[in-house]
Amino acid sequence: MPMFNKNQNDALPKKIETIIGPSVKVEGNFKGEGDIIIDGVLVGTLETENNLKVGNGAIIEASIRANNAFISGKIKGNLVIKGKLEIASTAVILGDIKTQILSVESGAHILGKILMPTIKISSGIGEHHSAESRIVAEKIDEETEK
Amino acid sequence: MYLYIYDSFLNDKKYVNLLAKIEQRVTDLSIKGRTAKLSILKNMKELITDAVKDGVKTVVAVGNGQTFAKVINIVADLDVTLGLIPVDDNNLIARALGVPSKVAACDVLASRIIKKIDLGKINNHYFFKSAEIVNGAVTIDFSDFQVQPTTEKSRITLHNFSDHDLSPGSNPSDGFLEVVITPYRQTVLGKKRITGTVLPFNKVMINSDQEEEVSILTDEQIIMKTPADIVAVPGRLKVIVGGERDFD
Repeated sequence: MPMFNKNQNDALPKKIETIIGPSVKVEGNFKGEGDIIIDGVLVGTLETENNLKVGNGAIIEASIRANNAFISGKIKGNLVIKGKLEIASTAVILGDIKTQILSVESGAHILGKILMPTIKISSGIGEHHSAESRIVAEKIDEETEK
Repeated sequence: MYLYIYDSFLNDKKYVNLLAKIEQRVTDLSIKGRTAKLSILKNMKELITDAVKDGVKTVVAVGNGQTFAKVINIVADLDVTLGLIPVDDNNLIARALGVPSKVAACDVLASRIIKKIDLGKINNHYFFKSAEIVNGAVTIDFSDFQVQPTTEKSRITLHNFSDHDLSPGSNPSDGFLEVVITPYRQTVLGKKRITGTVLPFNKVMINSDQEEEVSILTDEQIIMKTPADIVAVPGRLKVIVGGERDFD
């Protein structure tokens, strides 16, 4: 299933399983099997094997685990996102983020550590490039270390 | 073998012609069976259970939405197939099942497309389509979390079938029910609905902090009171459906 489209706040993906509207407060360990859209208030923990969209007006005080996520609301808690995390300009995140792919729009507020999988630049270049480019890569590495 | 149950209101003279036409069509289609007319003295549950003991495999309810809601509560616990002949034109249960009204329903019965569908159960009472919380503030307890509306006025419904687009995933054969919470916002032009909440579930408990018990109306017929346990009962009803039904 494709990620939620940030430009179409009112347009829903084909199959929405769970929607927490703006007039609802959820407290506890919320676990959804399908996609989840949150526009209301959630306190506790949040977990889904699928996609998560946190809308503009949403207020979440919870640790979050999801496959992919699009965030434009306020979150206080740590996020663990398996795939891609998109953070919109209106988002406020107070907590650590762990994700594979990250996209942050200018204006977003994040207070916390961002952890992503380590990529070794030098060894990657060395394996596929000429001796000359390997020397350039090593110089970059040396200067970075300084 | 078929059992046709006529609801008591069909004893009125104005239905004589319609019932004669239905009986004629049933005979033409070779699906004739035993007929039982309900009255104050004849109990529906006894009639159906006795007929099932005698070998009836299909119970056909002839009547309106209330008739069907009552019959469903009896046949859900028996090994029989349910058929419907609605005598009114705006029957929500029949429409969801793709069953046309009056004589045309006999043709759907004869085609015998049988589906097993889910039912909702609230405090041991089955409902087919939906249950609605009529008044008062409630808390909906799921197994691991709690949901509470934050607006003063909202409409809370628990769907098996949905007749509006607020619950697009509502499907009577998925093993789930859905809680749909739709708040009302007061505007100059009156009440206006805003984005709703849709939560699928297998089991919830409805509680209220109010002194008075809150009413829950099932299939527009029976009133239940809080606290109420509501569960999805997958594949509970074997029913004859038409091609124009709302689900696969």
